[in-house]
Amino acid sequence: MLFNSYIFIFLFLPLTLIGWYGLNKIKAYEPAKFFLAGMSLWFYGYFNIYYLAIIIVSILSNYLLSYLMKFSHTRLSGRIGLAAGLMLNLGMLFYFKYYDFFFENINLIFHTDFNLKHILLPLGISFFTFQQLSFIIDRCTGKAPHYSFSNYITFVTFFPQLIAGPIVLYKEMMPQFEDISNRRFHAESFAKGIVLFTIGLGKKVLLADVLALPVNFGFENTPFLDTPSTLLVILAYTFEIYFDFSGYSDMAMGLGKMFNIQLPMNFNSPYKACSVKELWQRWHMTLSRFFIQYVYIPLGGSRKGELRTIINTFLVFFLSGLWHGANWTYVAWGSMQGLLVIWDNLGIVGVKGSNEKLHSRIQMPRYLGWLFTFSFFNLSLFFFRSDSLSDAFQMFKNIFAFKATGYIYKIAARLDIPEFYLIKQVINMTAPEILSYAYVALFIILLLISAFILTRKNAVQIVEEHPLNLRLCLIITIIFVWSVVSFSQVSTFIYFNF
Amino acid sequence: MSQKFIRNFFIMSGFLLLLCIFTVVLFDPFFQYHKPLPGLKAVLTDKEYQCVGSLKNFDYDSVIAGSSVAENYNNGWFDQGFDCHSIKAIRSYGATADLCYLLDIAFEHQDLKYVFYNLDPSALVAEPETTYALTGCPMYLYDNNYLNDVEYWLNKDVLMKKIPYLIANSIIGDYDESNSYNWAQWKEFNSDMVLGLYIRKPSIDEMKPENYYEDLLNANLELLTSRIKAHPETEFYIFIPPYSMIWWDNIYREGDTKAYLYNLQRTMETLLTFENVKLYYFQNDREVITNLENYMDILHFSPDINHYICDSLINGTHQINKDNYMENINDMRTLADEIINELIKPYEDVIKVDIYDD
Repeated sequence: MLFNSYIFIFLFLPLTLIGWYGLNKIKAYEPAKFFLAGMSLWFYGYFNIYYLAIIIVSILSNYLLSYLMKFSHTRLSGRIGLAAGLMLNLGMLFYFKYYDFFFENINLIFHTDFNLKHILLPLGISFFTFQQLSFIIDRCTGKAPHYSFSNYITFVTFFPQLIAGPIVLYKEMMPQFEDISNRRFHAESFAKGIVLFTIGLGKKVLLADVLALPVNFGFENTPFLDTPSTLLVILAYTFEIYFDFSGYSDMAMGLGKMFNIQLPMNFNSPYKACSVKELWQRWHMTLSRFFIQYVYIPLGGSRKGELRTIINTFLVFFLSGLWHGANWTYVAWGSMQGLLVIWDNLGIVGVKGSNEKLHSRIQMPRYLGWLFTFSFFNLSLFFFRSDSLSDAFQMFKNIFAFKATGYIYKIAARLDIPEFYLIKQVINMTAPEILSYAYVALFIILLLISAFILTRKNAVQIVEEHPLNLRLCLIITIIFVWSVVSFSQVSTFIYFNF
Repeated sequence: MSQKFIRNFFIMSGFLLLLCIFTVVLFDPFFQYHKPLPGLKAVLTDKEYQCVGSLKNFDYDSVIAGSSVAENYNNGWFDQGFDCHSIKAIRSYGATADLCYLLDIAFEHQDLKYVFYNLDPSALVAEPETTYALTGCPMYLYDNNYLNDVEYWLNKDVLMKKIPYLIANSIIGDYDESNSYNWAQWKEFNSDMVLGLYIRKPSIDEMKPENYYEDLLNANLELLTSRIKAHPETEFYIFIPPYSMIWWDNIYREGDTKAYLYNLQRTMETLLTFENVKLYYFQNDREVITNLENYMDILHFSPDINHYICDSLINGTHQINKDNYMENINDMRTLADEIINELIKPYEDVIKVDIYDD
């Protein structure tokens, strides 16, 4: 089930809220947790009923391991448990996400003929695997206690964060589920949840999904793009990916608040960052947190000399790239980020007024730092979005071809959105020859609106700082209704052959 | 303050959402709930969205059923010729199961005098299951579940495009209600178009045995004849449309000619056993199918041909009966041979070849 769907908003969410608060009101605390977990499993299984089996097996196996660790009192048994936990979770992730990628490359390098499985990736497997992995690592190293099954299943399946994060840690979630005071309806938390959810919904439906129209067309027609269209497409994608992912995170946080559960912040205005390192402190923060706690620090972090720090940093970003998808494009993208973060860590060039402990030898103004960071991230997304490395390189070639073939008109014409329909009809009737320019203007206006929103306060800041007054309510209502009526489209069926 | 915020949010959102629902139900551009409002026209341009609703809610006593080649009929031709009030039941590809699904809706809501049924050869070899869900049709408009109509009620495209389009076409446009789903106005019909769009398979497949599609044929005939049997009071005018000679070249290369001709023969033999069926055959109309100026691609013909077919149904020309059906099949067989051996030859230099053909 998607957050941006009728069934979620008009059926699933009201039922779950009523059930949760209703059961807690009559002090049925344990049934309330099982109810929430059950609803979350419905939410998950709605996509594909077979996915349920995968997540249930994953939860039961990890829980059993945690239970067995109760009987572990030696370092060896802890290590065995840890190895089992890593094999279980990473093994599942490998099988479902990386099997084909791995054997495709083996076949390519060694000219072997391993059959590929073409497995459909279970939704959110990367998220719930890392979530459980963090618990099981701490459990096997003696840092985490064993929890009741109701707490554990609620923690893993809690639907707001189940399929796209944020990647939550047991230590921040379990106490909240156990706190009885959280089980009462808090109007302020609920109201803030509505605001946060709606802002996220608007970012996803009204911005990201609209920007995706020219972006998808552009990336489907890579060889035909000229310089201006390539630049605008990648700029649009830079905005799209942020609005999409951060919008989803805002919705998750908002839903959490409706249940009195505080989910961690995942995005903190990353495009305001003045260095790549800072960008990564603001972008997908819970993933970075996971890698720092469970990869970077165990490898020695920055405690084992400059070279090891560089290697550890690179490894984290290499893995982060691979985590995003089983394709060399993601690995290239992650590696690029890693190299730039390492460069920032070297402290050769820095930004004036930064809080870095290390003082850079060359200081540049903040705006230059921002410009460089944004441009770099922008261009690196060629790798993130392209289907193959050759497509990504083709996009770079398009930029440096310095050609303007007018392809931008084709790209912009994909923005055939209902909001533009009446204007389009008026232009068609009065001056049809300017319609293609109008689409380009619409595209640019959309990019300017996106840029404007990015320079304002982010959703969390709005919720925390803005009073819950009528003006905010009116704005939120309009965004909500506008988003809801955007869930469904009327498709054009184009055919002419039998 | 928070409680007031929540209350205000729910009241205002509820009001605006209800307003959207009210607007959609009132104007109902897909005619799911009622006929056009007084003063508005039945603007029918999205068959996947409007066919079911119009069949449920409009007043009519005859149906023009068929695939895309049937979209360019003017309902008025039938209305005048047969003294009836017709409506279109159109489905891309014209699979028998899909058209029968639409016919069932029509029979459920109206007593039909006539069904004018365009029978495409491809419909006889299509899977005998409906394809609406498979092809991404808006199933919320096809079932009787009002709850999933939320996708229709709260739909920006409906609110901002379809309702204004309906109003504009009704008030300021010159939309002709008889030309529902007509696409001919945006197309050109000439030999350049046909030859430009035809990509010829250079290889020639082995000719399939004539009973190659027997199972599919039987299943599709069963679908159609069950409707004919169930409605003896309705007269079925079934006609097989004239595809261009290029289409015959194409099926020859696919190895389908023999099986398709056999299918036609079986279909004629079956349909001619029903008293409430009148059968018409246009495929062997040399004048039409060999003149590529009548077409926009290998099978889609101009509205003039639609008109010609309608006139034939009215006048009884091209009608098939038990005495002449084999003569027509044999004539078509001879013509099919003539097409691949002679008639196509002058065009071979300009026909494009499929370079990816195995």
